[in-house]
Amino acid sequence: MDRRFAIIRIIAGTAALAFLLAAGRFIEGHAILKESSPAANGTVVGPDVPITLKYNVRVDAGRSKVQLSHPDDSVTDLPLEKQASPDTLSSKATGLTPGAYKIQWQVLAPDGHITRGVVPFAVKAS
Amino acid sequence: MADLLGIFGFLVVLLRAAILCFQTILVGGLIFLSFVASNDTLRPDELTRPAWKFIRWSGVGLALSQLVFLMVNSLVLGGSADISIRAMLGANFAIAGIVAIVASLAVALWPARLQKSLNRAVLVPAILILASSVVTSHSFSRMEGRAVLVGLTSLHYLATASWIGGLPYLLLTMKRISEEGIRIRISQRFSRLAQVSVAVLFLAGLGMSLVFVGSWSALYGTAYGIMVGTKVVLFCCLLLLGAANYFIVRGVGAASTSGSTSLIRFGEVEIGIGLTVILAAASLTSQPPGADLTEDRVSLHEIAVRYAPRMPRLTSPPLGDLSPASKELERKAKLAGVKVPAAFMPGESFSHPDTPGDIAWSEYNHSWAGLIVFFMGLLALLSHNRYFSWAKVWPLMFLGLAVFLFLRADPENWPLGPNGFWASFREADVLQHRAAVLLIIVFALFQWAVETNRVKSHAAALVFPGVCAIGGIVLLTHMHAVTNIKQEMLVELSHTPLAIFGIIAGWARWLELRLPQENNSRKYLAWVWPVCFIFVGLILMDYHEA
Repeated sequence: MDRRFAIIRIIAGTAALAFLLAAGRFIEGHAILKESSPAANGTVVGPDVPITLKYNVRVDAGRSKVQLSHPDDSVTDLPLEKQASPDTLSSKATGLTPGAYKIQWQVLAPDGHITRGVVPFAVKAS
Repeated sequence: MADLLGIFGFLVVLLRAAILCFQTILVGGLIFLSFVASNDTLRPDELTRPAWKFIRWSGVGLALSQLVFLMVNSLVLGGSADISIRAMLGANFAIAGIVAIVASLAVALWPARLQKSLNRAVLVPAILILASSVVTSHSFSRMEGRAVLVGLTSLHYLATASWIGGLPYLLLTMKRISEEGIRIRISQRFSRLAQVSVAVLFLAGLGMSLVFVGSWSALYGTAYGIMVGTKVVLFCCLLLLGAANYFIVRGVGAASTSGSTSLIRFGEVEIGIGLTVILAAASLTSQPPGADLTEDRVSLHEIAVRYAPRMPRLTSPPLGDLSPASKELERKAKLAGVKVPAAFMPGESFSHPDTPGDIAWSEYNHSWAGLIVFFMGLLALLSHNRYFSWAKVWPLMFLGLAVFLFLRADPENWPLGPNGFWASFREADVLQHRAAVLLIIVFALFQWAVETNRVKSHAAALVFPGVCAIGGIVLLTHMHAVTNIKQEMLVELSHTPLAIFGIIAGWARWLELRLPQENNSRKYLAWVWPVCFIFVGLILMDYHEA
């Protein structure tokens, strides 16, 4: 066997092994939420609540998803409105009764990174 | 789908690294043949044939990496957001990926009759490949200063390809071209291109750092800033190697056998460190820019308090103080019907805050590992002195590390925990640790045989520097906090210098073994890597999590 190729094989094999051992430790991420309305852990007046999520980068609204988790743990999809700005997602939740809610979002950034998060908030009666 | 989500984060970093590496080598090769070996005299068959083979295979590698990236991302996106294939194909990353696949295949299948005379039309797919990378970079996603940032990113990628991507072809030139005059002309032309590329790389990198890092506090206080700092340190190492090559090319030149061999050896290391920087860059593209993370940054005071020299922790905390493993907690939570919170990224695992017992356990493990590595470095350093030739047994210190890991790595399992010896093998983590122990034992005996001349193969001697450099890379790219979780950031601040010392130690040893006997640098390099080990040991001994 050619010695040079033997070295390459040894190094490639070790690299593959090292990457596999480290596999569980990689974490990815890109788009992060900069501002939200309702604010995280904030309280708003119901029953209709406009929702705005502003990110640090442009997000692809057509391939992103926003859901609302209700006090009874049921989850509904929130339809997204046309983007006012490329870094912002907007929607509106209607008919909310007082209680604890969570906005669950998942966004796609132009580079293909998928990120997600949760914004907990409370609704009080008007 | 669940399995795919579990390894999604890892796959994406790996694929991005592969994409950047293949892209750099492919574009670098085309630039080299177009602007360095720029006429038929400088492009003899002995260069063009292997160079094109390398370019074509890089094209195939790039197309495959992009294809897998597209498939993985589409599967995860389709599975988690209910998006149709048609809608996915319209996404920015998908369009960019398809363009890159077509362009790289065009290069891979470039007609042979156009290769020798090199029709510059081949630069069109090269430009498309670079463009597809730029439109999936941080710069393209920004709201402010987008045009300038896109320009700087393009220049950064182009300069990386010209310099790092051109190096394998310089090595081919030095190895394959028999005519001395051609070798000298090509190496001098490449030297000029490399100087311009270094300047462009530095200025474009500086411009982007001003925007993406933005402040000193983000440089040391965020994961993104630390990775930029690491790139700067490795860039300085590359400059040192580049300077060494510059003096060879301008001085005695590539004409002497010794000079020519030294040029090749320094070039090998430049490629190795250059690819490491590209891997760090792949890791960077998956981080939110430091400038965007304004809350919860680590302050200088916190760093000073955490890393003020303290006595290493050499006594173990009581085992009862340790928390169960995350997977055990997750399983129990699911059984109890407790909802596991959604991760920030698909693939992140459920975790719990560390207790004082967990922290003491981790510090204790790091301290002992540090002590072993410290003495290993010290023995390796002493072994250069003729009065301490017995110190060549330094690799056997690894056996101590193996025994320590075997006995102490898994507190829930034999011999420390309730799970028996054979039962413990059912846990994937434990299996990984036991495999690592086995590898360390084999490596210790192997390296001991190499050091004491029981194994005389040159290839065998290169395994140790290879493992050091790869270990450094793994440490550099693993475990980055997406948001500024202070504790993780403070841990990362100690792991990054460990990675850098590992990389420097590995390549210093590589050069010591590979440089010709006449090259004086060898005697200094023989000191560099043991000193790096001593520093690694000291950092590990001073490792604290609170």
